[in-house]
Amino acid sequence: MKIAELGRSALQEIGAHRTRSAMTALSLSIGIAAMLFTFSQTAGMMKRYDDALRLAGPGRLVISPRRGYAGKGLSPGLTFSDAREIRLRYPELYMVSPRNSHYGLDGRLDSFKNGDLVGRGITPEWAKRDWVYTMRGRMLNERDLAESARVCVLVEAGSWIKKPFWAKYWPEQALTKHISRRDPLGRRILLGEHLFTVVGVLKEPPKDLDPRWFRTWGGSGQVLVPLTTLQRSLMPRYQKNPDVVEEIAVDTGDAETAAAYLRRIKVLLLARHRGEEDFEIKDYREIMQSALKQMKEFVVSIMIIGLVAILASGIGIMNVTLATIFSRVKEIGIRRALGATRADIIWQFTSEAMMLGVLGGAGARRSASSASGRSRRARSACSRSARYTWAARC
Amino acid sequence: MSAPAAITVENLARTYQGGYQALKGVTFSVAAGEFAAIMGPSGCGKSTLLNILGLLDRPTGGTYRLEGALTAGLGDAELTALRRARIGFVFQAFNLLPRLSALENVALPMAYAGAAVAPRLERARALLDRVGLGRKGEHTPLQLSGGERQRVGIARALANKPALLLADEPTGNLDSTSSAEILALFKELNAEGTTIVLVTHDPAIGASAQRVLRVKDGLLA
Ligand SMILES: Nc1ncnc2c1ncn2[C@@H]1O[C@H](COP(=O)(O)OP(=O)(O)O)[C@@H](O)[C@H]1O
Ligand SMILES: [Mg+2]
Repeated sequence: MKIAELGRSALQEIGAHRTRSAMTALSLSIGIAAMLFTFSQTAGMMKRYDDALRLAGPGRLVISPRRGYAGKGLSPGLTFSDAREIRLRYPELYMVSPRNSHYGLDGRLDSFKNGDLVGRGITPEWAKRDWVYTMRGRMLNERDLAESARVCVLVEAGSWIKKPFWAKYWPEQALTKHISRRDPLGRRILLGEHLFTVVGVLKEPPKDLDPRWFRTWGGSGQVLVPLTTLQRSLMPRYQKNPDVVEEIAVDTGDAETAAAYLRRIKVLLLARHRGEEDFEIKDYREIMQSALKQMKEFVVSIMIIGLVAILASGIGIMNVTLATIFSRVKEIGIRRALGATRADIIWQFTSEAMMLGVLGGAGARRSASSASGRSRRARSACSRSARYTWAARC
Repeated sequence: MSAPAAITVENLARTYQGGYQALKGVTFSVAAGEFAAIMGPSGCGKSTLLNILGLLDRPTGGTYRLEGALTAGLGDAELTALRRARIGFVFQAFNLLPRLSALENVALPMAYAGAAVAPRLERARALLDRVGLGRKGEHTPLQLSGGERQRVGIARALANKPALLLADEPTGNLDSTSSAEILALFKELNAEGTTIVLVTHDPAIGASAQRVLRVKDGLLA
């Protein structure tokens, strides 16, 4: 029999058992949708990590004070001077970006008054990597750093494209709220005891698009200032050594050279710290890879659960199909007596099953695409913005 | 003899799984154009015999020649092709497909034979006319009376112009009026040259057959 006739008789049969057909198609739908969703999520996750790694730089090293290290009093700790020395010794490095933060900073801008800002002291190299922002005004430059200028860049937290239900329990940053009402660019802000000029505003990407938005604690608002200014004007007086930093981020510019520079920098810092290993240097890719490995294990366990579910529903479908066939033994006999070959019969049942499969698959596609559509849109926008900023920086 | 006999069986035996011997070796032949009735008590093996004649079942012993050709060596596909082209089946329980209309039921064997839609519907309509159901082609089996159903069944059996018409108690479920109509139909078909072998308990039908094969306990009496 011709395909058109097979299709027609299959449709007739499906139509004759609407409930059963609908249930079969539905369970197929759910199974396939689960599969598609898992796959798209996995793919999305891998892509996110790729994006994050690309943003962070291929040869990224993170130097930070060793946690829980009891100093012998020989080392000054991890300092801005260390960063300068690394820069001096290895000018070929793409980025050497020291950073220190002052938490609980007092700030005042017009009617806005807050004691819980985060002041981040940075150098211009900070902007070389992890750039996901939209900038208004200008970034901090070498002159600001050299002069310890009282200038700052405010960070406006990303908004939501589509706000998830739990976001209302996530308080909006007070500073962001304020500057979204009144443009602070070029105006004065009181930080600690000094007046600063706002020379720039960095807008973070929408939270939906930024895989890292929850990783940095921004308090009631983040303010970027030159590191030298932070040391001179904002660090509390009880700080023993104002030169210390909480992190030096390095990017060699090349994944191949990361390991070699890690060793060199370690030797350099050990010498500067008089033998005290009060710091640690981590290869960012290793950090990412261990996170990725954890994620993978998680995904595998999800996949196993999904597979079990699909298997169970598959057996259910098989059972129904067999019951259908058995309940139609008589019909098969009649058709055989009328001249149907075995192939005719097999095709008849197969075309019914295929049609149900197609219907189920179509249903699955619809539900899966509506479920993953948002994350897909978000992903593509994210990589677009990453490419954008990448091009702008390089 | 000029033409080979329509059916020649020699020592035909059928033992079912479990060892029950439904046919214990029957030998007879039916000439082309003959009208033969198979009669006998219930359970004696009539249906078993007819299924073998209709190539729906294979004998476990003996030989069966259809139009002179041995059927023993044929594969499933060849048997199906032969059955489709040469044999029409009429059942006691009609065995119409309930979801198809009378017309579609009659056209179905032609579909399996590979006929295109238009010609086969045309022929199905002609066949329904022939059995006096020209107006009821769109009815489903449930909307037809027993006698009408059996006439659809006969029209369907004639779809591929079979040389041999096999009927297993075709009037077993019908009242006497309908039975008489069906019998008249069979006689007409036989007069046109179709070989007919039918199983029946009805003495009237037996009387109008040219030959009666009496089966008892798996043997010809
Ligand atoms: N598929 C089968 N398996 C086992 N025994 C069968 C099968 N079909 C029929 N029989 C037995 O074979 C005997 C003959 O059956 P059948 O040919 O249908 O008789 P009838 O003459 O009434 O048509 C019966 O006793 C029946 O129980
Ligand atoms: Mg019987």
